[in-house]
Amino acid sequence: MPKLIIDNLPVEVAPGTTVLEAARSIGITIPHFCYHPALALASACRLCAVKMLDGPVKGIQMSCSLPAQDGMVVSTTDPEALKMRALVIEWLMMNHPHDCPVCDEGGECLLQDFTIAGGHSRRRYQGDKRTHRNQYLGEHVYHEMNRCIQCYRCVRFYQDYAGGTDFGVTGSAGRVYFGRFEDGPLESPFSGNLVDICPTGVFTDKTGRYRARYWDYQFSPSICQHCSVGCNLAPQAFQREVIKIVGRRNDQVNSWFICDRARFDKKGINDPSRPREPKVDGEATDYETALDALAARIYDFLEVHGPESLAFVGSSRLSLEGCLMLGELAANFEAAALSFYGDPAEAKGSQFATELLTEQNVAAPADLASADCIVLLSVDLMNEGPMLAPFIRKASLTGTKVYRVDAPALPSEQRLPFDCLDAATLAEVPLETASRAIVVCHAARTPHEELAPLAAKGVRLAVLQPGPNGFAAGLAARKHGAVPFAEVLAAKKVRGIVAFESDLSAANLKGVTVLGCADWRTSELAQKAGVFLPTTTWMESTGTSINFEGRAQRFERTFRPGLPLRGLDAKYYAQSRYGEPAPGQPEVPPPQPPRIPRGEIPGGQEIEAWKAMARLLEKLGGEPIVEPLTGSWRPLREMDPEAGGERIFGLFKSSEPDTL
Amino acid sequence: MIPEQLRKSLEARVAHAFSAREAAVDVMKDLQFHYGWLTDEAVGEAAEILGLSRLQVEELATFYEMIYRRPVGNKMIHICDSISCWNAGYEKILDHLKARLGVEVGGTTADGQFTLVPCCCMGRCGDGPLISIGSTIYDHLTPELVDQALEIERLSGTAAPDHKGQA
Ligand code: SF4
Ligand code: SF4
Ligand code: FES
Ligand code: FES
Repeated sequence: MPKLIIDNLPVEVAPGTTVLEAARSIGITIPHFCYHPALALASACRLCAVKMLDGPVKGIQMSCSLPAQDGMVVSTTDPEALKMRALVIEWLMMNHPHDCPVCDEGGECLLQDFTIAGGHSRRRYQGDKRTHRNQYLGEHVYHEMNRCIQCYRCVRFYQDYAGGTDFGVTGSAGRVYFGRFEDGPLESPFSGNLVDICPTGVFTDKTGRYRARYWDYQFSPSICQHCSVGCNLAPQAFQREVIKIVGRRNDQVNSWFICDRARFDKKGINDPSRPREPKVDGEATDYETALDALAARIYDFLEVHGPESLAFVGSSRLSLEGCLMLGELAANFEAAALSFYGDPAEAKGSQFATELLTEQNVAAPADLASADCIVLLSVDLMNEGPMLAPFIRKASLTGTKVYRVDAPALPSEQRLPFDCLDAATLAEVPLETASRAIVVCHAARTPHEELAPLAAKGVRLAVLQPGPNGFAAGLAARKHGAVPFAEVLAAKKVRGIVAFESDLSAANLKGVTVLGCADWRTSELAQKAGVFLPTTTWMESTGTSINFEGRAQRFERTFRPGLPLRGLDAKYYAQSRYGEPAPGQPEVPPPQPPRIPRGEIPGGQEIEAWKAMARLLEKLGGEPIVEPLTGSWRPLREMDPEAGGERIFGLFKSSEPDTL
Repeated sequence: MIPEQLRKSLEARVAHAFSAREAAVDVMKDLQFHYGWLTDEAVGEAAEILGLSRLQVEELATFYEMIYRRPVGNKMIHICDSISCWNAGYEKILDHLKARLGVEVGGTTADGQFTLVPCCCMGRCGDGPLISIGSTIYDHLTPELVDQALEIERLSGTAAPDHKGQA
């Protein structure tokens, strides 16, 4: 372990650590552009100069590419190093358009930070600047090449890390250009990461440009709820609207990156037609009244039909808290049915995965990078777990063979960003000769009989779940004996349901009354429901989500729910000092937000689904519940959302569902 | 469209290479020889033959000085504008060339004979200022020597222009 001294502070680091990283580990940030922990070294920008005062190398060195060695004495503040960095930054800024005021990166720009930190504050160069033509890169990413400082991060990410082939670097010397062969949408499903990874404003998020500055945003550590990989991210919200979503580091799950679905799909959350008001028989009311009505209707229903005719239906969209609470709610009526999934294959597979997987046989996404044999077994990877692909690519580039067995037909644009061999059956894959083999499959598609023997052979498993929080739903289903809804229907006993964030289609519900429905999406089910309860999306909730590998991760509320200020209906301005509209004039919202302080946020009655369940349970005669994570789940309450999450296998005896 | 025979020979070249990229320069040069310059169509064909994307071929094509992505004259004049030739007074030579040929840097003469482009060091830094016309280097230049060089090259005609050759 090399020991060195940086700015008079002794530090010991693992072999292979660079001087820049060693400095970072003791809180000293050396300005850098091309260095990125997830990417291979480029040493392209020349900004990270330090002076080596003593030891095996002397003089000015690039700290990002210099491995720390015993006896090194490093100064990051030596005048010679400072001068070098100031000159480099001045040179990198030579052609920069100085357009920060109209650049969407402004305020969250590494180039701004390090220009100032590097001591360059006055322009001396008076010549012409080189300019580029920008390209149209599709509806997600905006291109402004003049801001480029040639750090090569974008191309190292796009081609090397993510395996894209339609974006790269052309030209040489002072003419290098980062773009496509011709205008057109970026093809990689990871293209949005260019926005995060470019240290300046060459790539900005077209879906959220010019809405707010960095310091305007509400931010929080959150977890993607689009699939069961559970990537870490941070939504950026402004005036109750999600403007942008950026990746957040979790070395085990998603490294620094997220897929484009996670980044750009904000429609559902910002949807102006999102159901915001509790309703009873289509009439808007307040939450309390709606809950009272639902409780009363459930009682009436039970009187007439008995509890065996009632079903509580959730889905893998619910948080862990929601899944557990729904179980409690159903348990309140002994004969009532509980369902998390409609499809029996999904229900059984999801549950089986929670039984089979252990700390020893489960594979984290990052484990794929060091696997020596990888099998994609009946899985549509780019849809069901896209962020696993870069890790598999990493393994593949080091020679690991990737086999595709029984692959579902993929649409042609869903190219896998690594080479793979096709095999007809699992038996054809030489799993025996591998010592770190991982099989990636989908819970609903791989028969249990096939998975258990694999695990017994020491193969590790990545069993993707049918929904983002499928693992939690599977656990709750086991504890409370949930049944797939298709089976509930087939038994023909059920006459009424209460649904929480369920994806059931209303079409097969002939003869079944939807007593209540709680959701943040508009759905047919919600239309049919006697009582409707609006819930918060995950960005407006604090809770826990469990990814496919049994990793519990906490997400924190980014912003309070309610109608976004933008486009707020004129009626909310009526009491403002602008007064009532003049007679005969249309109700035009004034250009400013309402100035009258209000106790409530317009359209802000939504609550987390589990809270709606808890309040309903209380109205149905249960104990008041303020904290859903009790018993075995208690340790998760204090989980730090930024600490990478915790595997749940140690929390209870998996063989005894009652202890769950 | 390239003749089947050319495609076959290029495919064979790629098959023998350690990696497709290793064969990329050869493939691009042959296609350039065929078309006169590396047309968009040629980039597409190179991509197909090499198993790369068009962008990945473009990355290589635009990196190399002697792959031309725009139509060029029969003979290429490269003038070194790197540091030693610059010190040796390359600017005077450049001005003279521009005046004689009636073109700016990057331009092609009206008769289609010459295209003038800068290049960064030919590895003969002690002999500057220097230019190359086709595959011949003319060094220790003065304006008079430039005129002589142009004369020689004009007379040597247009058959099998070097930049289109397999050199
Ligand atoms: S576009 Fe951005 S990431 Fe790419 S080289 Fe330029 S500055 Fe770096
Ligand atoms: S891979 Fe899944 S969890 Fe990760 S960012 Fe994409 S959709 Fe979200
Ligand atoms: S960070 Fe070291 S050269 Fe760019
Ligand atoms: S500087 Fe002109 S040949 Fe090297």
